[in-house]
Parts: sequence; C-alpha cells; structure tokens
Amino acid sequence: MRLTFVVNGRSRTLDAPPLARLLDILRGPLGLTGTKEGCGEGECGSCTVLLDGIPVNACLVVAGQCDGRTVQTVEGLGRKDGLSFLQEAFVKEGGAQCGICTPGILMAAHALLAANPQPGEGEIRESIAGNICRCTGYQRIVESIRNAAKEQAEHEPG
Amino acid sequence: MNPAELTLYPFERPASLAELCRTLSARAGRNEKSILLAGGTDWIVGRRLASPDDPEDLPLVLDVSRLAELRGITVSKEVATVGAAATFLEIRGHPVLSRRASVLTSMAREVGAVQIQARGTLGGNLSGASPAADGAAALMALDADVVLASIHGERRVPLTRFFTGYRTTRRAADEVIVRVEFSLPRTGAHQAWRKVGTRAAQAISKVAFAAVAEVERGRGVRCGFGMASVAPVTVSLPTVRALGLSQSLGSVSDEELDAATRRDIAPIDDLRSTAVYRTHVASALVKGFFRDLRLAARA
Repeated sequence: MRLTFVVNGRSRTLDAPPLARLLDILRGPLGLTGTKEGCGEGECGSCTVLLDGIPVNACLVVAGQCDGRTVQTVEGLGRKDGLSFLQEAFVKEGGAQCGICTPGILMAAHALLAANPQPGEGEIRESIAGNICRCTGYQRIVESIRNAAKEQAEHEPG
Repeated sequence: MNPAELTLYPFERPASLAELCRTLSARAGRNEKSILLAGGTDWIVGRRLASPDDPEDLPLVLDVSRLAELRGITVSKEVATVGAAATFLEIRGHPVLSRRASVLTSMAREVGAVQIQARGTLGGNLSGASPAADGAAALMALDADVVLASIHGERRVPLTRFFTGYRTTRRAADEVIVRVEFSLPRTGAHQAWRKVGTRAAQAISKVAFAAVAEVERGRGVRCGFGMASVAPVTVSLPTVRALGLSQSLGSVSDEELDAATRRDIAPIDDLRSTAVYRTHVASALVKGFFRDLRLAARA
C-alpha cells in the first residue's frame, strides 16, 4: 500500500505491506535505526516512539494504521543546536549505560514532560514502567528525567 | 512465526461500520476467516508465538481502530457508553468515568504500561476472552452489556453471559463488538480494583478483582463483581453477589464469604501462580471488600 505519514516533522511517502511493523519501516526504508528492537512483543519498550504524540511500541503498530499520522522517533528529539534538555540530562546523570533501552525511555519521558512539565517521582516512574532497563537500576534514569524537567523549567519558563 | 510473515496478510480498512459488517457477512458466508485489528496488543503478539497460518488461506485483517462508530466515550442519563475501539488511555483520562466508574479507570491505569494503554481496547479485551482479561473483570463488576453489530442490526448480550468457555464468546463470525454500556454506579458507591501480580505494570495478574457496591441502611442494593485468572473465563462471583444482596452486610460472616468465593472460582496451577495461592488471594480480596463495606456502613 501507499503510506504517507509525517516522521520527525517531515512528510514521508513509501510503498509498504500494510501489516509491516512500524518498527521495521523506521529501521529499514527510513533508515532511522535509533529505534531499537528488544523483545518484539510489546513488553520491553525499547521500540517506543510517539504516534500522534503518544508513546506506543513500534513493534505492535502496523504500517496500515499509520497512514496520515505523525510519528516521532529519537532522531527527532534534539534541538537545532544539539541535544534536547532530556538527552543532555541522560548524558550528565549517567542515565544511559548499554544504551539499548535509552531511545525508548527518552521517548516515553519526552511524552511525559510534554504533558506534565514538572512531574513527581511517582509520575516519572509510572511513565517509564513500560520500559525495561537491565543496566542502571532505574535510579539514574529517574534522576535524569527529574533534572531535565528542572533544566527545561529554567530555560523555557511558562 | 517470524514477524516478517505478517507482511503476507491481506489488509483492509473499512470506511464505516456498515461496510465492515458487509465484509464480515460475506466472508462468514464463504467460511473465510477475518481478524478485527484494533491496537494489536493481543493479535500481533500472538502471531509471534503461533505457528504460521497457511499462506494459501490467510485471514483478512480488518482495521477497526479508526471506525467512528467504535470510538468515543459518552455518558447520558446515567448510562456510560464506551466504544469498543476506545483505548485504555482514553478511558483512564475520562473525567466522568474517573469520578463515577473508578473501577474501570483504575483498571485502565494498570492493564499495562502507557504504551499498552495507548493501543489496547475493551473490544479487543473482550473478544480475546482471556481468563486474565482485566477489562472484562472491571466491566463485569459494572454489570455491563456488550453491544454487537452485524448486517442484521445490533444485539445486546450481558457480559455475564458473553463468555462461553476458555477464549470463546457469543460473538458470531459476522459480528463486531461496537460498544459496551453500563449504568453508572451512583455517586459515593464503593468501588474496588485490585490486581495481584508480579509487578504493577506490564504484568498479567495472578488474580484480579473488581467490585462495585451501593449500600443503603446497611444492606447492599447494587453489588457486582468480576474476577480474572481464577477460572477458564472471567467470573462474576454470583454466589458472593447473592450473599451481598440477600442480607444485611453486618451479618455476612467471613466463613460464608470464603465458602461462596470457593464455589464461584475454579483456579488452576499455571506459569504465573498456583490454585492454592489464587484461592487464598481470592478469598482475602472478597473479605477485604466486605470488611470495607461494613466499616463504611458503621461510620
């Protein structure tokens, strides 16, 4: 089928089998390999991207359901002059170790901060409950997100 | 099967419920299989575990996720209507349901993490008919009706009669679940959602329990339950319900509740838990709910 959708702010049109996974479309024809495949069955959250602004597992979304919609991946997170506050906070706080879960966690956290710029710890933990990390023990991830919220509030108040 | 094999399946996106019903009817008449796809949290995951379908006889996948007739949540005259393709995230965020049907919104918060909430639907939850379906348990406690549509029109099935056995339902091959409906519990009704499992997010329950009760002068006047993962189908605990409605709550004993709970469930040992543990937890959850009702009645 002919699929037209907006990926990281840019309209893309391609031919794809309607039941191809969004994950494979992103990593294959679109070359956006920042989105990782972990379990491939909606458990680990490594392939989290935003579909119309909401976190979804790209391994469970099919191409035929993306037509006319908007997708944001980790490649679409940075600002023009570099990393986003969230990405910078992960670097500073050691929120990433092996890195496989990181793109998915960044997207889940980005969606949280967009909807709730000053989340409490419980809200932060709930927002990444669908993202499994086997390296960090989560504490540094939570701190990264908390610090990103602070930085963002200082630089982009109100 | 390999996820790449998904690309072989034929796919259509019907433009309306009427078109979907015509397609389902024609295919059912020819004995051809159709798959109704909403969020994919069951069917796509299931493909990975399943052996491949015969490539010469693949089911037609019909995307119902954007059908207007299956979407939306409305409340009118104290009746809530939730579209079969409304997502758990939409349910969770609905202001009236949060106030008046907290058993449903609490369930939607815990059915899976946000990525699953964003995709999963009640229609999928009910038609999959898993004995562990959280949505089915919460809707059972609300005494919901399932509304099915086909080219012959609509019909309504009480959820307590919808499941016919392990992963089977009264939905016919030419039908689609369009919505569920239930009377809102009155303001201040007691509602409980408890999911006992390995962790709060992304875990299938060992036992899930949903309860709704309205109490007047120490007696239950509305009483509904749903319990998942304790029988081949989600159960409505009819014996426990009868106890809650038949006498003053103060006179219901723990022994009676234990006996009623044991009568209403048929748990097994499986990869997630044991029959012994499930029986213990089921009894504890039921007794806990009645204890809270009695305390509230005394206060």
